[in-house]
Amino acid sequence: MEKRLLDNTEKKVLKSMFIRSHLTFLSFNMTKMEANGFTTTMQPAIEEVYKDDPDGKKEAYARHQNFFNTHAVPFSFIAGLSYAMEKEHKEKNSVDGKTIESIKAALMGPTAGMFDSLFFNCLRIIAAGVAIGLCSQGNFLGVPIFILLYGVTQSVLKYFCVKFGYIYGTSFIDQVFSSGLMPALRKSASILGVMMVGAMTAGIVNVPLNWTIHMGQTSVVVADVLNSIFPGILSIILVLFLMSLIKKGRRPVQLIVGIFAIAFIGAFIGIF
Amino acid sequence: MSVMTVAIIGTLTYWFFYVMDPYILSWQCLNRPIVVAPILGLLLGDFHTGIIMGASLESIFMGISAIGGSVPADALSASIVAVCYTVLTGSDVETGLAIALPIGTVMASLSSIFLSVSSALAPYWERLAVSGKPGSFLAQNLVFSGLIYPLPNIIIIFLGIAYGVTGLNQALNALPAFFMTGLTAASSMMVAVGFAILISMIWSKEVASFFFVGYIMAKILKMDSLSIAIIGAAIAITMFFYEKQLIDMKNMRVAAEQKPSEEEEDFF
Repeated sequence: MEKRLLDNTEKKVLKSMFIRSHLTFLSFNMTKMEANGFTTTMQPAIEEVYKDDPDGKKEAYARHQNFFNTHAVPFSFIAGLSYAMEKEHKEKNSVDGKTIESIKAALMGPTAGMFDSLFFNCLRIIAAGVAIGLCSQGNFLGVPIFILLYGVTQSVLKYFCVKFGYIYGTSFIDQVFSSGLMPALRKSASILGVMMVGAMTAGIVNVPLNWTIHMGQTSVVVADVLNSIFPGILSIILVLFLMSLIKKGRRPVQLIVGIFAIAFIGAFIGIF
Repeated sequence: MSVMTVAIIGTLTYWFFYVMDPYILSWQCLNRPIVVAPILGLLLGDFHTGIIMGASLESIFMGISAIGGSVPADALSASIVAVCYTVLTGSDVETGLAIALPIGTVMASLSSIFLSVSSALAPYWERLAVSGKPGSFLAQNLVFSGLIYPLPNIIIIFLGIAYGVTGLNQALNALPAFFMTGLTAASSMMVAVGFAILISMIWSKEVASFFFVGYIMAKILKMDSLSIAIIGAAIAITMFFYEKQLIDMKNMRVAAEQKPSEEEEDFF
């Protein structure tokens, strides 16, 4: 892969994306987690790529408003990569929307795990250890050293990540497309994407059933019975049931209201 | 310094750090006790207490981390209230530290309530994003994260410093039990909606079975996501080369079918 030089527009978009990528947790919520931060970061790219295509722009915004969750540093890498994919999608129609979704879904789980252990559980502990030593002696230097070691490093890495994601993504997609292997990539990306979403479902989705049926002397814990059939069977049923509702055209707001209703009714009659 | 002055300075500091990190900077760095406590101490005119408490609070909260969106104890509010309390009462640092953890726990459970309620806004954000007004989307998000969302926390922190933290705990206990349980249950199920939307985009009969493979690896085999990704990548790469062979064979057959006709043309 030869080194690609960025033109001025690309430089401007990437710089804007880098600054916006600091808004990772903007309006964080339990439904889509970092989706708002990701949409904000993608805005300069989407506005640039789809400046004369309102329909494509709409689709791209919907795509990057989906559930997203990873560590703040690989967040920039995935954003840069998505910029590359959106550009290829618009200009050469080489990558389809589904492949973009799959690649994003495949990357967020493992990068989150990797960078959380690298930054949150390792670098933060080292930086805090140094800073605690200085501060406990009353030395103010501990504070800027902690910010420098743990905070500023993240920004510096974000800068390289967003650029690297874009350049690497473009040349990778070009190579695959020119050799006519896009259908193969599409399929393997969706395998990995679906598998990682399955793994994330196991980790994050939880139906907190706390229901015990008393029958005379014996009592049955319903959650234990269900989990002995298959661990976490309720989470799978919930996700797949909601998916079938979405495929039938139900709107997300109906599902959210429904979940609130079920949670409150369930809590009121004592099954949660 | 009067109680009101301390409460106002403490609340404003809380607000600044709460909005700055994670919403504006997303480092998860500025809102740590080691940064917050010395700066608040400096603002309250008792730098020494601030910096010593910062070191101790960071040692306490260092191991308490947020995994998967749920926080066992909120370090920021605990640091703010503990430093304010110590400066106000002039008590020793240990007493201030002793009240930090309960406050952190109370604030964390309050935060999970707001987090659960704010998930109801997800469809609104989606509509706003698709409407194609990037400036308005960013501005409304910034106003929400900077002003509206922190507002309940700000009020509670202010009341907590000005009128004591015991009342806060009583108020929380006075809520009907099913209300809290319901919100917690809703919060842990809410993420299923985001997941369902995401899966419905990439789901197809061909690859659906891998959803269960991934689920079983994480839930039953208890594998971490990087290991699952490596196995997934191995399957995906194998699949890629298998598909590549099919594509190559198809191309070869097309080429082979074309070749004889060309030769015939040459022959005649």
